[in-house]
Amino acid sequence: MLRFVVCVKAVPEPKAAEELKIDPVTKSLARLDIPLVINPLDRNALEVALLIKEQSAAHITVISMGPPPAGDIVKECLALGADNGILLSDPSFAGADAFVTAYTLAKAIEKVAAVDVVLCGRASSDGATEWVGPELAIFLDMPVVTMVREFVESEGTSWKVKADLENGYRLVQVELPAVFTVTQDVNTPHTLSFSGIIKARKKEITTWGLDDLALPAESVGLKGSPTIVSNLTYVESKRECQIIEGTLEEKVDILINKLVEAGVI
Amino acid sequence: MMSDHKDSVWVIAEQVRGDIPAVCLEIIGQARKLADDLGVPVEVVLLGNGISDQVDLLFFAGANVVHLGDAPDFEDYQSEIFMESIVSRAKELDPQIMLIGSTFMGRELAPLIAAKLGTGLTAHCIDLVLDEKGVLEQQIPAYGGMMSIICPEKRPQIATIARGVFPMPALDENRSGKILPVEPPQGINIRVQTLEVLHIEPKGVPLESAPVVVAGGSGAGSIEGWQDIEALAETLNAALGSTRPAVDEGWTELDTMIGQSGKMVSPELYIGVGLSGELQHMVGIVGAKVMIAINNDPKAPVFEQVDYGVVEDCRVFVPALVESIKKYKSHAGRAANEV
Amino acid sequence: MIDFTFTEEQDLFQKAAREFAETKIAPHVPEMEGTGQSWDPVIKELGEAEMMAITIPEEYGGLGLGAVVRLIALEEIARISVATAMMMQVGGLGIDPIINFGSDEQKKKYLPGLASGERFATVAVTEPTGGSDPKNCRTTYKKQNGSYILNGRKCFITNSHIADTQVVLAVDEDNPEAFSTFILELGMDGFKPTHVEHKVGMRGCNTGEIEMNHCEVPTENLLGQEGKGMRVSMVGISETGRGGMVGCALGLHKACLEASVKFANERILYGKPISRLQGQQFKIAEMKIDLEAGRLLGYRAASIQDKGGRAGNEYAVAKYFTTEAAQRAAKMAADIHGGYGCMEEYPVTRYVRDSFVLGPSAGTSDIMKVIVARWALS
Repeated sequence: MLRFVVCVKAVPEPKAAEELKIDPVTKSLARLDIPLVINPLDRNALEVALLIKEQSAAHITVISMGPPPAGDIVKECLALGADNGILLSDPSFAGADAFVTAYTLAKAIEKVAAVDVVLCGRASSDGATEWVGPELAIFLDMPVVTMVREFVESEGTSWKVKADLENGYRLVQVELPAVFTVTQDVNTPHTLSFSGIIKARKKEITTWGLDDLALPAESVGLKGSPTIVSNLTYVESKRECQIIEGTLEEKVDILINKLVEAGVI
Repeated sequence: MMSDHKDSVWVIAEQVRGDIPAVCLEIIGQARKLADDLGVPVEVVLLGNGISDQVDLLFFAGANVVHLGDAPDFEDYQSEIFMESIVSRAKELDPQIMLIGSTFMGRELAPLIAAKLGTGLTAHCIDLVLDEKGVLEQQIPAYGGMMSIICPEKRPQIATIARGVFPMPALDENRSGKILPVEPPQGINIRVQTLEVLHIEPKGVPLESAPVVVAGGSGAGSIEGWQDIEALAETLNAALGSTRPAVDEGWTELDTMIGQSGKMVSPELYIGVGLSGELQHMVGIVGAKVMIAINNDPKAPVFEQVDYGVVEDCRVFVPALVESIKKYKSHAGRAANEV
Repeated sequence: MIDFTFTEEQDLFQKAAREFAETKIAPHVPEMEGTGQSWDPVIKELGEAEMMAITIPEEYGGLGLGAVVRLIALEEIARISVATAMMMQVGGLGIDPIINFGSDEQKKKYLPGLASGERFATVAVTEPTGGSDPKNCRTTYKKQNGSYILNGRKCFITNSHIADTQVVLAVDEDNPEAFSTFILELGMDGFKPTHVEHKVGMRGCNTGEIEMNHCEVPTENLLGQEGKGMRVSMVGISETGRGGMVGCALGLHKACLEASVKFANERILYGKPISRLQGQQFKIAEMKIDLEAGRLLGYRAASIQDKGGRAGNEYAVAKYFTTEAAQRAAKMAADIHGGYGCMEEYPVTRYVRDSFVLGPSAGTSDIMKVIVARWALS
């Protein structure tokens, strides 16, 4: 039986999150009520495990580090077909950078017992560093392949995957246990089903905090992060914009003149 | 000897089919500036097979030392071998800064190195400066502003940078430096093997070098609206760019995305259509000569960042513009023929 | 007191229904609008997404989820396509009498297929003599040689041509006070759908006529007691039927509000979006207030039904309010769109047309008032 761990992150809904900005007057972040969703690429990652589970015996644990509302995301993953969920939630985990996020996740995964495959989305829609997957691999002492777009074939504990490169791809053979990060091309996730939601009633979500992972407080969260934000400044623009006026037709003509001037037409 | 190397500024270079990508040289140029301020050498790590002829280029760009791994084991990127080689050398020599290009290889290798060395890593930096304490300020756009990230205690401070963020340095052919060989690591557990690398030649003018760029955003509204923007790019012989929302909608591929985690462009002319002017996108436009924006919201931030603005619904304006350009071209063509 | 928020699980049902509607139903809407038909792929999607299984008990292959979840699902589907929601809701109206009055054999025979989507249902009460006056129905039945013979025709029947399982009301040929309800199956001799209606709205929702011409119906297809059939057909209508229209209306109303907000924020006049103009803000406020009120009325009735109570009156209030409000919302949305409100490429024109069909379905607004007056005066 293949044992999967899928790391999912609760992120602000990407379209709504575009609105989150520094207020140019107060120079601070204007908070908005943005709903949390499963990081889209993590959904692709979960789907990889679900598709394999359709064909052969598998167990899927979903794990997420976040404040209590992230529990809704874990619940949704159970409704999508994961078998059980772990929420890593503790005030001391807050302010974690990618390094310590990966470290904390790794400690939790170690606690999950034997794991064959760890899956993550290539990047999160809000942080978008792409670091957590590979750093997890180091902490778990597993090999990693990033940017996987296709799981080609498996023979026992040897998997072949296709991963993106600039202008092309590489075909890679990996020995399990291993970490894979996936791109949006790897699959099209299926939608939530009503019967999946009903089945999730019987599935368990465990919440682990600092004590459950037996970690010192200095090794997690803001305290454990090697990087910190030192400054956040509002950027002044350097160009003076001239708005082209007139009717639609007039504006088109003026613009064409500008393009001719620029030597483009 | 080793103290000569301590606290130096490192650049992890790479080779692609025997050539060093522009991004590595650009980063070496910036590393040179930082190293000069800090009074330390620039040391470049290059792993490959049969690439010793490329070493001079690294010196010309500003390196003092090249750690050269030239062996069949380094022929293709292999994460475990590359990481082990770089990490063991770094542990020996203790650099204070390590810079890596945001290439596909770099984005996998950098976090492996950072985690192994137990240090911090910042992704897709738009600028790197030293603060008054000589700590590296790694700047990324966020929330419509610029965020500075520092790694105050752990060393090295590692950052990845995309092509086009820093200018290509002037290559001084009189420069040379020291070459220190890197031997392939022995006895490590290889669990990842590249069986095949397939290279696909990209079509058209690459965004990074296009003289005219037309970029579209969520204002296209639909795939039909997007196709109008594509038509505009085609009519102007421009390269097509996009913002993240357009990619998320599925109208275009990720490789057209311009921005902090996409491509950097420096065209003569940039036209932004139906995009709001998100800083994450705008930082991808480095030094465009003329910038124009078309957006139906007069309050859109893009109008503070361009030279000319048109407040119109792009779904209406772009087709009209394309129509008029075609007419203009055919008139001009006829006039030229009549002469 | 009462908690007016969804449970965590209800939130998930809403998310699932929304995802389903946006990814699986939305692509079919242009064709449904264009041809006025094309309902086959949509029915298939509804079946695959288990939408018809919501109120069917688990022991018969359903999900056993109840009225609140049904309302959540209908609301989300109607937001994308009222025509689809209508077919689904009337499908439920055909399922309900079998759940409530079916014998064990009938339940075992029909419900699993209805839950899986292999079968599709409808209820046929309305005739040219008037849906508001069901006692005046002219479709007759008589017992003959151990089976029933039905003669007559029904009109304005949703799913007339796609439902293979139709719950039909008829009057005893010899006794105008005795009504019986039968389960007719497509393929029975003498039973066929005839004319297809072309409606001004809810295009792509199958509406038409069915004809029974010496249709021989076996006695095991009698649903409930002979002579007591009015209750069998009508009980479903007062709760499931009205509740279904509430779902259709709320979804349409939400779509009108969303379209209005989007347009008002994008449309620039006098140098700023029209959403800054108080006149437009007031329209949007009215839409919002009506939507908030309608949702509370609908979910209140559904909660009563889920707790096992009788909710016909509460549903009448909700049906009246939400369908009338949706019609006002559609008109206001079109007004906000100005000239674009007349252009077919803008969905708001479809909302206006769809809103017309909400009123007379499952009981006209006038009938709702009759029921509510009866409730208030009792």
